[in-house]
Amino acid sequence: MKARAVKGIVVKDLRETRRDRMAVFWIFVFPLMWVTLLGAIWGGSSPPVVVHVGAVYFNESAPFTASTLIGIMENVSVDGQRIFRITRYPDESAGLKAVKAGRVDVLLLFPQGFGENVSSGLQGKVYAYFDRSDPQKYQIASGVVKGFFSEFEREMAYRKLNITLGYVEAYLPKNLSANLSPSMLRAYMMGLIDPISLREEAVKGERPSPIKFYVTSFIGIQFLFATMLTVSNLLFEEIEKGTLRRIAASPATAWDFLVGKMLSTFIVITASILIGIGYSKAVFKETVFPGPTGWLIIALSAVFSMSLGLAIAMGTRSMKATNALVNLLSMPLLFLAAIVIPESILPRWARPIADYFPLGTAVKDLRLLEIYHRPPSEVFPDVVWIAINSLVMLLIVVLLYNWAIKRLQ
Amino acid sequence: MRAIEVRGLRKSYGNFIALNGINLDVDEGEVFALLGPNGAGKTTLIRILAEGLSYDSGEIRVFGESLSKKTARLIGYAPQESLAYDDLTVRENLEFYADLYDVPGKRVDELIERFKLPAKKKAKELSGGFKKRLNLAVALLYDPRVLVLDEPSTGLDVPSKRELWELIKEFREEGKTVLLATHYMEEAEALADRVAIMNEGQVIAVGTPEELKRLAGNESVIHVEGILRGTEAILREFRAIERENVLRVSVEDARKALPKVVEALVEGGSEIRSIRIEEPSLEDVFLKLTGRGLE
Ligand SMILES: Nc1ncnc2c1ncn2[C@@H]1O[C@H](COP(=O)(O)OP(=O)(O)OP(=O)(O)O)[C@@H](O)[C@H]1O
Ligand SMILES: [Mg+2]
Repeated sequence: MKARAVKGIVVKDLRETRRDRMAVFWIFVFPLMWVTLLGAIWGGSSPPVVVHVGAVYFNESAPFTASTLIGIMENVSVDGQRIFRITRYPDESAGLKAVKAGRVDVLLLFPQGFGENVSSGLQGKVYAYFDRSDPQKYQIASGVVKGFFSEFEREMAYRKLNITLGYVEAYLPKNLSANLSPSMLRAYMMGLIDPISLREEAVKGERPSPIKFYVTSFIGIQFLFATMLTVSNLLFEEIEKGTLRRIAASPATAWDFLVGKMLSTFIVITASILIGIGYSKAVFKETVFPGPTGWLIIALSAVFSMSLGLAIAMGTRSMKATNALVNLLSMPLLFLAAIVIPESILPRWARPIADYFPLGTAVKDLRLLEIYHRPPSEVFPDVVWIAINSLVMLLIVVLLYNWAIKRLQ
Repeated sequence: MRAIEVRGLRKSYGNFIALNGINLDVDEGEVFALLGPNGAGKTTLIRILAEGLSYDSGEIRVFGESLSKKTARLIGYAPQESLAYDDLTVRENLEFYADLYDVPGKRVDELIERFKLPAKKKAKELSGGFKKRLNLAVALLYDPRVLVLDEPSTGLDVPSKRELWELIKEFREEGKTVLLATHYMEEAEALADRVAIMNEGQVIAVGTPEELKRLAGNESVIHVEGILRGTEAILREFRAIERENVLRVSVEDARKALPKVVEALVEGGSEIRSIRIEEPSLEDVFLKLTGRGLE
């Protein structure tokens, strides 16, 4: 290999790229666009849940009524955010209409006498009508509403218990039984109304940050689109100008040429990746900065994706066909190779693609390393797999290059 | 010494035969022109010599050695199209090729000075003449013994063309061998020591311009300029070439033919601006040999 020829090609390509406004635009705009898009759509904390509740009840004069309950419901808030948005309807049919139209997620119907019953210590009945057309929404709405009621019931039960215990302590003979002290009675009754007490404790776990996830997605996107398109455009420029024939006739070998083109592309793509990483840090305050193993994986994937791009370019020998084919190939792979979505939500048949398509493997490993902080030894077999694929692809490209040069003449 | 020797060279593109048994000898130190119309096979021949384009059969020697990476270094090639990268400056373009051919950096400065190139201008801002000069500079980077130029002056205005011709003459004075392809007979006449007339993949005549002109015998040429109509009859009766506003009729006896020619033109309603009788040019020779004009 002639180092000076390679250097010449790289310097020339970088000078050209720097002066090509469109290229500079894409190198800068591509990362900003993707990182912003992915971060804005899926990143950050999820918005607080709001359940739209329709309520139908009757006016009553009891001390505790449906109106009181709805009032309490209306004021329930988590982190300063009200959970229930209440709309009152005059009757059942108006309320049901609202459920069907999707204006409320649930309709709570309190029959006549609800307040009477509850106030006098009897059971109060409530009917809840859920809109089940969207299973996910239903689960959230029913979970939140039922959660509210069970919490409310428990609160009521404790109050009743305290009143009852007050009576028990006042009227029960002190030495009724050695085994039945008031404190034991209280404990038993608590077990009765609240057989299991679930206590929530917060644990600080390894939360996979969505922003970090999407920074790795962005790196994957760069391999799928930017790398392949950049390297093939660098090649087509030489073909169209007729300079490729000249380079082929010069002392520079096929390897010199390909290594030069790949180095230029790698430098451009690395710049673009660094911009994306920095941009994410600046805007979302979070980012991923790969360690040495991460960069090794990036470099190997770049070789794979540049070789693939060059192979497509030399196979089709047309810029248009190459652009079309790269897009056609990359679009589905964004999803099927789990580059912009987590592998866990892939259908079973797509898993092997994510596991074995080298760019999918690479992004998965980057996540293991940089988001979940697994040791490099864990991804070592994958790195070997990516390296083998890149090497094979590279050899294919050298063969194709020699073939393409002959066809050029 | 023979700079280039070509024997029985054949080359086809698929079914199309581009070179059909070419024989050629170019002596060291001479300017040798390949003159022929579009599609004659000039570029194909040149690319086989200078770019290592593959060929079907035949033998080629450069200073006695068969073609190889070593002989490639003896030949500097300026193709018809520009070799420059538009967004790079003249200097950067030369630096790139210097890296490719591993030529010392100071050679770039020498060439910029010699060809009076605007070093800091981007290639896309260069005039046609400077683009051709930049091509020449690239061809001369590694100081080859033979310069191969494909249509060096095509597309240039007259002053730039003259300047370029002066440069080519300088190369010969330095002792370089020049092989150039052209379809301008003026270019061949002005520059070449010897000319090979090519047509349809064959060399149909070789010699000095004078020798070739003698092939036309004792013919002379009636050269008519003006807005010409009614030339069809003349083209039928005589061996003649018509180009925009110019008609050249080759005749044995100009005095006899002249009235006929003028009569036909006047009847056709032509506005004749000038008429003169000339010695035959290389183009007239080509016409005599092939029955058609060069352009
Ligand atoms: N790569 C190619 N594939 C197929 N045919 C080709 C190719 N290159 C040249 N030809 C054909 O070979 C013939 C000779 O072409 P060539 O370029 O050598 O002619 P030329 O004498 O240089 O013509 P011009 O004066 O137009 O430059 C032409 O008919 C051309 O169409
Ligand atoms: Mg040509």
